[in-house]
Amino acid sequence: MKIIFRVAWLCLMLLTFQITVMAQSSKINGVVNDAVSGLPLAGATILNKIAGKEVLTDQKGNFSIDFIPGKHQLIITYTGYQERNILPESENFLNILLNPSNKQLDEVVVVGYGTQKRKELIGSVSKIDPSETKTIPAGGFDAQLQGKAPGVQISSNTGVPGEAVTIRLRGATSINADNTPLFIIDGVFINSTSLQTISTGGKATSPIADINPSDIATIEILKDAEATALYGSRGANGVVIVTTKRGSYNEPAKVSLDVTSGVAWAPKLWDLTSGPEHATLVNEWWVNTGEDNPSLNRSFANRPFRPVNEIVNGQPGRGLPEEQATYDRLKEAFRTARLQSYDLSVSGGTKGTRYYIGGGYNKQESILKPIHFDRASLKVNLDQKIGNRVQVGVSNTLSRSFRNQARAGDGPQGGLLQAALHTPTYLSPYNDQGVLVGRAGFDNLKLLIDNYDVTAVSLRYIGNLYADAELSRNLVFRTSWGIDYNHYDESEYWNNLLIAGSPNGFATSSIAQNTSWVNEQTLTYKPALGEQHLLTVIAGNTVQENVYSRTYLEGRGFANNSFTLLSSASSITGTQNWSKNSLASFFGKLNYSYQDKYLFTASLRADGSSKFGVNRKWGYFPSVGFAWRVIDESFVQNSSWLSDLKIRTSYGMTGNQNGIGDFAALGLWSGAAPYQGVAGLSPQQLANSELKWERTSQFNVGLDLAVLDNRITLEANYYQKYTRDGLIQVALAATTGFENYWSNAAKISNKGFEFNIRSVNVNNKNVKWTTSFNVARNVNKIERLATPLQYGSRNLILQQEGSPLYSFWLYKQLHVDPQTGNAVYEDVNKDNKITAADRQVMGSVWPKFFGGLSNELNWRNFDLGVFFSFQYGNDTYNHNRFFGEAGGARDAARVIFKNNLKRWQAPGDITDIPRIDGINVQNYLDGGSRWLEDGSFLRLRNLTIGYTFPESWSKRISINKLRFYVTGSNLFLLTNYSGPDPESSANSSQNQPGIDLGTPPQPRSVQFGLHLSL
Amino acid sequence: MKKQVSHYSYLPFLLLTILISSCSRFLDVEPRASVSDQVTITDKISAEQAVRGIYSAFADGSYYGTSFVSIGYLSGDNVQWTGSQSQVQEFINHQVSAENSTLSAAWSAIYRAINRANNVLEKLPVVTDPQLTENLKNQYLGEASFLRALAYFDLVRTWGGVPIITTSSKEPSDNAGIPRSSEQEVWALIAADLDRAEQLLPLTTDRFRATRKTVYALKSRYHLYRQSWEEAGSYATLILDDNTQYELLSSYGAFFTNNARGTSESVFELFYNGTTEINSHRNQWQPQINGGTRQWAPSAQLIAFLNDPATGGNRSVLIARDNQNRWYGNLYYRNPASDPSYIIRTAELFLIRAEAFAQLGKPEQALSDLNKVRLRAGLVALESDNPDFILGAIESERRLEFAFEPHRWFDLVRTGRALTVLNIQDANKLKLPIPASQLLIDKALEQNPGY
Repeated sequence: MKIIFRVAWLCLMLLTFQITVMAQSSKINGVVNDAVSGLPLAGATILNKIAGKEVLTDQKGNFSIDFIPGKHQLIITYTGYQERNILPESENFLNILLNPSNKQLDEVVVVGYGTQKRKELIGSVSKIDPSETKTIPAGGFDAQLQGKAPGVQISSNTGVPGEAVTIRLRGATSINADNTPLFIIDGVFINSTSLQTISTGGKATSPIADINPSDIATIEILKDAEATALYGSRGANGVVIVTTKRGSYNEPAKVSLDVTSGVAWAPKLWDLTSGPEHATLVNEWWVNTGEDNPSLNRSFANRPFRPVNEIVNGQPGRGLPEEQATYDRLKEAFRTARLQSYDLSVSGGTKGTRYYIGGGYNKQESILKPIHFDRASLKVNLDQKIGNRVQVGVSNTLSRSFRNQARAGDGPQGGLLQAALHTPTYLSPYNDQGVLVGRAGFDNLKLLIDNYDVTAVSLRYIGNLYADAELSRNLVFRTSWGIDYNHYDESEYWNNLLIAGSPNGFATSSIAQNTSWVNEQTLTYKPALGEQHLLTVIAGNTVQENVYSRTYLEGRGFANNSFTLLSSASSITGTQNWSKNSLASFFGKLNYSYQDKYLFTASLRADGSSKFGVNRKWGYFPSVGFAWRVIDESFVQNSSWLSDLKIRTSYGMTGNQNGIGDFAALGLWSGAAPYQGVAGLSPQQLANSELKWERTSQFNVGLDLAVLDNRITLEANYYQKYTRDGLIQVALAATTGFENYWSNAAKISNKGFEFNIRSVNVNNKNVKWTTSFNVARNVNKIERLATPLQYGSRNLILQQEGSPLYSFWLYKQLHVDPQTGNAVYEDVNKDNKITAADRQVMGSVWPKFFGGLSNELNWRNFDLGVFFSFQYGNDTYNHNRFFGEAGGARDAARVIFKNNLKRWQAPGDITDIPRIDGINVQNYLDGGSRWLEDGSFLRLRNLTIGYTFPESWSKRISINKLRFYVTGSNLFLLTNYSGPDPESSANSSQNQPGIDLGTPPQPRSVQFGLHLSL
Repeated sequence: MKKQVSHYSYLPFLLLTILISSCSRFLDVEPRASVSDQVTITDKISAEQAVRGIYSAFADGSYYGTSFVSIGYLSGDNVQWTGSQSQVQEFINHQVSAENSTLSAAWSAIYRAINRANNVLEKLPVVTDPQLTENLKNQYLGEASFLRALAYFDLVRTWGGVPIITTSSKEPSDNAGIPRSSEQEVWALIAADLDRAEQLLPLTTDRFRATRKTVYALKSRYHLYRQSWEEAGSYATLILDDNTQYELLSSYGAFFTNNARGTSESVFELFYNGTTEINSHRNQWQPQINGGTRQWAPSAQLIAFLNDPATGGNRSVLIARDNQNRWYGNLYYRNPASDPSYIIRTAELFLIRAEAFAQLGKPEQALSDLNKVRLRAGLVALESDNPDFILGAIESERRLEFAFEPHRWFDLVRTGRALTVLNIQDANKLKLPIPASQLLIDKALEQNPGY
């Protein structure tokens, strides 16, 4: 702490002694032209920093500015051109030529607390233009980015719009702390954890979906330690920096309108048995189990599906299998969904002011009735110059997301998929009296769809206010205040026609608020050290606080179904939650480059968190990096084919504290153990005063290569991450009276590589065709974990030392014995019994590699974009099949999937579906490997064809640009997975990925769009 | 210009100073819904609340709330599985896996209750508060002793010998790595705890909290399981003689129908208010039309027995039919979910004493007690002087009388009849497996044979 204090003091001293040179000034005139075409450039900026003057060129490229020969440097900038610095020795007329910039190398990339040109980068940063993916029907921009950046694995767990997706940057580093990257929008560290409390069967809404993708200008993904260490405390999982659109100074107002509209549908659903097939299998189960255990007294004679008039034990038969009807509930539940989106924005600026105002409305129906998501958003960004040295600005995002929600995941009450998919097809939705009834323990589908009343409204404000002040020629001070406020209002009303509302109605109301504010100051010092040296020093601090509160009420006993508010309930109970954490940080960073060839960087961040033990609150996170621009060395400079070559390496440390409870280190007693209506006390949590930061060190080495005049560029990275002091809820023996306690007990490693290749295949007057391809591989391993951990009620996932995170923990089915029809499992401990001890780690939820391939083709006024994403080598546990392929043993309680018809029936049958017997006994063992399937896929994420009207034509009606397009998403899916979507995952909780319990698949969609700018 | 520069320069300096000085306070955040474990049982009020906390642990959904109770009846022959959770079927098939989630939930819940009792037993004796009179202190200590005895009773009858924990856990290393004690040692602890509770508790009547009378009742059951027939009978008599407080209500359903609770039939039951204390047991039993999941339902054989006037009598109120003509169990039915969990009823004490008399060769007295229960159920009185016949009749009677209470499995195991009645091949299955997850965590634990 003292060191930081001293550094800050030193900075202050330096700036106080800055001497501003005041001398007699004169004027210089000149013209700015394009170096290639020789045409004048209108509106180029000429800046005299020392004198604090700035002028723009006129229509003919001419300018005139105050200056002192030999002392004042002029900086000439123009969008799309390389910047030039000149130091005129006389007042002679200046003829300045600007070269068009090399897009790749001069691309400005947002990094921690500043920007850099790509050629100066040492760290690994991916920059994404979200405009290509924003029409993909998913609520959040995060879900749309699958396959766009190397090393960023994104899985859409469900096809419901606005639901949370799983994002992993370079693998996962933690068991119990959060593994999602840090999201920063316009300088505000935003909350990316769902505030949802209604159970939708393991699913959660995405707070990222509150942000309108159309307002986003760029997304930068910071991956290695050099790039993320400045965000020390929260950088271990990578950082996603979102920059929203802003106006430009000296630009006339530009109005943009974007409209898209289209439809989405399910390309594939589940194959179910018909009524007669279901009945046949149930009879077969009956007879088989009767043969196995005569005491059950089951035989063909008393089989369930026998003629109605055959009375057994007073019960009539259900009718022969062939007499059974088939009811297609899936068709009733799924629909062709409508999608629509409207965005209108105005942006521009005067000499001292620039602005962007954007309004958007987006409505997406889910393919599963009655779910829909809609979002209205307003974006106002303003910047104002005050004099030549100060600039202030605000960013404001205001949105309202409305969700018509329904349980699209696991669980019986109100479960849409349970009612639609899991109800046996032979059962009529009506009972003998002609009344709609729920079957198999689930709600009646029609009643459910018609009476669903579960909604959530998220009001979100993300705002930032900043001021930049140039304290002297070399020193810039910035202060920034940001807030992320989220008001999340959920309500449910279940009338008495639904299970959850029986017998006389049930309603809940939950209002959660999450307020997180951040304040930061930075000082950036760039001393003039001559042509050869470039030094930048940044020092700063941030303070942040996050407060969560929630009030929840539930009520029962409504007069009738017309009264739906809690005020009409006869019995109401409530609860309240509150939690808070705070973080204080100091950081410093130094960038030094020699001759633009040797780039060096070092940084240090100190973070204090309220979450940790008394003496363990502070963590220190350093990083160093080095890059060598080989291309600028004389020995390669004359190469005709090589246009860029850079080698980069970095090492550093980042931390993690997200996702653990705000009071995880404290020993606590709870007051919520009432008895007989009176409060009671109980031990709640054991203390760990030594609880400290989880730390991840990361080594990165990378290569940037461009050949053939930058026609082909390659970026390659290899990294190794090692996480120590991993935050984990260590399981305790139940005899302690506790289940677990928070500790730093795990070590996890990730290593892998990333490639990104971009090539301009054709570039001439009429045709431009570019291809980019990225692929990444990550190998994850738990290096240290004292006690294995199991997840899920069925222990399908095991975390154990030596295996990757989220290992499937299964009974390995070797084959089905052709003679007996019994499944043969591997007897791991050779005790001739199949018990829990015979489970083993199988398959992997981690892909061997994953990435994306995109092609963009422009021909005259037509444009075509084709974008594929892929994953290879990962497995998905199709747990849905365990329920749907119980071989009739679940009788009237569960549907049977068509695949079950392939069961063994007679000696000699070769199949992997065994003879039908009971459930969770030998042949239908829960956790059997039969349901572990290859989850690899190649998906056509997006295909867009557009036509832009010729400028000559559109200008005539005062239109700047007019483009029509048609875009399709998920038009093609290549996979061996037998379910509708290999990305389906039942649970959004991070330790249970890759288990499919049935969820709406990602839809296939076609939309028409229009872009108009004035 | 120079002046302007120095003016700005104060800003970061000031902010930095303020921030650093307030840093340590800024990073101290205290919770509001919980308190530090340093200040827990310190006076009369917190002692009282900590005792309620033990009852609350017993009322938990994983213990007497649902899971433990369901182990007792699912493992018998009264219930069939009609839902989706396959761990339920494991009990019914007598093929319980060590990974059964109901079983591990119950194991953890019982030890959680024991830890709460241990906290009271350990911290309360040193509390000095004038409000906390000697009598109150004794009562609280007595209740904690009784509850700990009941918890170990439930452990030993389900799993056999288990680790004995008699101190509270303050550190993660406390009370872990303790090997299983023998069944004898566990029974001895239960006896000692019950003796202590008997001395400390007042001789009052409370059907929701333990008194000396509750101790008598549990002691009677303890001796039934230990087959010390004299004591089983004499402790039952202590309650049955107190017939102004403890009686059989005129019709079977009277102890639970019409939202009844704490009736004079009840010796000990757990209270749920339906709002902050919810007994979710109904969700497993009630059909969907009543907002339940009908995860399980009465077996065909039980339905037949209950509906037969010669065997079920007015106990047919235990079952009902839904809008799809399916039978469901209706002992747990209230909405909001406030059904009591019945732990000891007067009927049980009559049947314990009947069994004790029969074992002691006193068929007449045995029949007298048995017939009280039968007559109340609307059946005819039995006549016999054959102790074996009477014991068989008691077994059948208990099956129906406690159809959905946690008795059937434990009764058949304790009498050695489970293998025959339930057609179980492997005697090892009579003790349920120690949860596999616990064996992974605690290397000191040993699995029961056969798993």
